[in-house]
Amino acid sequence: MLGSIIASGLAAGAIYALVGVTYNTMFSTSRVMSFTAGQLAMLGGVFGSWFILKLGMPLIVGFLLTLVACAIIGMITEFVAVRPVLKSLDQHLYVLSTLALALMIQQVAAIKWGTEPQPFPKLVGLGSGVWDEKFWLPVVACALTIIGLEYLYRRTLIGHAFLAIAEDNFAARALGLPERNLRVASYALAGMIGGVAGFSGGELLLAFFANGALLNFYGFVPVALGGLGNNRGAIIGGLALGLFQQAANFLVGGIFSSVAVFALFIVVLLAAPQGLFGSAIARRV
Amino acid sequence: MSISRRGILLGGAGALGAATFPLARPAIAQSEPLKIGWLAAMTGPSSAPTIGFNRGVVFATDAINAAGGVKGRKIEIITRDTQGDPTKAVNATQELISQAKVNAIWGPVNSGEALATTPIMARAKIPDLHPCVVETLIDPTKFPNAFRIAPSNSQWDDAVRNYCLNVLKVKKVAVIGDTTGYGVTAVGASVAAFKKDGADVVYQANIDATQPDMTPDMLRAKNAGAEVIVVWSVSTGMEARMFNTRAAMNWDVSFVGHPSLASGELAGLIEKPANWAKVYAVGYKSCSYDSAGKLPAKSQDLVDRLTKANVPLNDTLLWWIAGGIDAVELIAKGVEESGSTASEGIIKYWNTLSKYPGYFGNYSFSPTQHNGYPTEEIVMSEARSAKNGTFALAPGYS
Repeated sequence: MLGSIIASGLAAGAIYALVGVTYNTMFSTSRVMSFTAGQLAMLGGVFGSWFILKLGMPLIVGFLLTLVACAIIGMITEFVAVRPVLKSLDQHLYVLSTLALALMIQQVAAIKWGTEPQPFPKLVGLGSGVWDEKFWLPVVACALTIIGLEYLYRRTLIGHAFLAIAEDNFAARALGLPERNLRVASYALAGMIGGVAGFSGGELLLAFFANGALLNFYGFVPVALGGLGNNRGAIIGGLALGLFQQAANFLVGGIFSSVAVFALFIVVLLAAPQGLFGSAIARRV
Repeated sequence: MSISRRGILLGGAGALGAATFPLARPAIAQSEPLKIGWLAAMTGPSSAPTIGFNRGVVFATDAINAAGGVKGRKIEIITRDTQGDPTKAVNATQELISQAKVNAIWGPVNSGEALATTPIMARAKIPDLHPCVVETLIDPTKFPNAFRIAPSNSQWDDAVRNYCLNVLKVKKVAVIGDTTGYGVTAVGASVAAFKKDGADVVYQANIDATQPDMTPDMLRAKNAGAEVIVVWSVSTGMEARMFNTRAAMNWDVSFVGHPSLASGELAGLIEKPANWAKVYAVGYKSCSYDSAGKLPAKSQDLVDRLTKANVPLNDTLLWWIAGGIDAVELIAKGVEESGSTASEGIIKYWNTLSKYPGYFGNYSFSPTQHNGYPTEEIVMSEARSAKNGTFALAPGYS
């Protein structure tokens, strides 16, 4: 039983963590919590299944095309749901615009892809039982994504530019950084991270339109737990959430596990409103 | 000629008096078509059954019209695509009744829509046939115009329980559903009925259909000593995960339950074909083949006629097509036997039916019973045995 809790808990947690990183990547350059993050992960599964199983493409081609497609959806999010409301961030209109776009994505997926879950291909074919690839693949994908992001942010010019924008938008613009283009690029990057989450978790979650809403929700929890904009917090929060959720599934059953998860979520936020790894924000007076 | 006030008064009184006499209605010309409204979810997420039903509707209409119609009247099907949306179904119902002036309605085909449209049809006293499973949709006092030509949910439940207790002869039962309103209600009703019949319900649960790992619930059911797992869900993803988990646990327990256990989509979701063995879904005698691969003679004749008419069978279920045919034929028969398209006559005729031989089933109605489908014609099917929309009978039926 412990093996099952750890295997499925880490797998689900890794997917939640990647969705949390998707939220953070979009947030860092725009200060917007875009509720399309979960839908991008859902599309990762749907596009992967479509390219590989329906269109018969090789795995690598299918994976790359999934990333491209999700990046495009990420950029569309920036154009359609974020850019128009950036001037009035304090009114939180982005909640409405990004939620509306998320619903549109979900409905289009339901109509075009179908409302029944559909199979996702075996990607590697290694492992069985608790070592089945559907459990370890999301964890490996999460680790590789973190390594990639660390490299991007620490070793590349564009990564430094992202950090500069995230740190101080106005100062970065004053220095001549192309803030708008960088924001579009960060949304494309977020789309790809979401795509990786859905693609690597496809065997576990299947290619299912309803995964979007679920991942939107469970992906948001690690962001809130770990601190907004804090990727390390999101990863730790995501993995902890997955493990706690699966343990609750085993110990108290399906319906009550959600109650347990959200009870813990509320308790943590009451104790540390800025998240476990976030820092309190100074407010100008 | 001058018009006096007295003249106007007398004329007015005369006109008023004349208006109180019944005017002779012009007889409806025999060539006027019999209009059947068809509330069909042709598009949208729940369109699969409608596509099957519609093939039956078109097939029956063409056959009746080719044979000269109903006492010389052609059948005209007026289809409205509700997209499975109750709001659209309500609008379409009102439009069919008040604008298109249909003589009877077939549909809608899902309970969510029917819950919204049934009271509207009852107010308009429009004869309605539907295949929706929710119990409350049939109430001859509140809805004397509404008739069900498919099993209700409790009839499915009766058939599943009968198979578990009397055919499989098990006593320890686990009942699992999803967390939708349907799943919660169905599990509650099923558990109560099993207990009433003396079975030991060792485990019951409602699982979120998106839960990625079914091991916790399957393990609990196994540890509780379940000899069969009864499933009430329409989520094929959840069902496939349960089958795969059972295989991973090396457990050979049977699954019995909702018709969706036999959904063709499961073939792609299970890890290997063997994982779908020992799964028995609700099915129907008329649409099940025996161990020799033979359908009942009447159903085989229908399949032959459908094949000859190039009606595709491989991507739908035979009972959907048969139900569509039966609906059109029941309405046509109602008009033929009552001699008019008046609602009262059609409803009165349906209320007299006893074992009316349809293709899907033998329907019986009375003024106090509008659940027309006989429970004894519900059987369990071997879930993975789909062949042209029909299924093999589950083990235990002679």
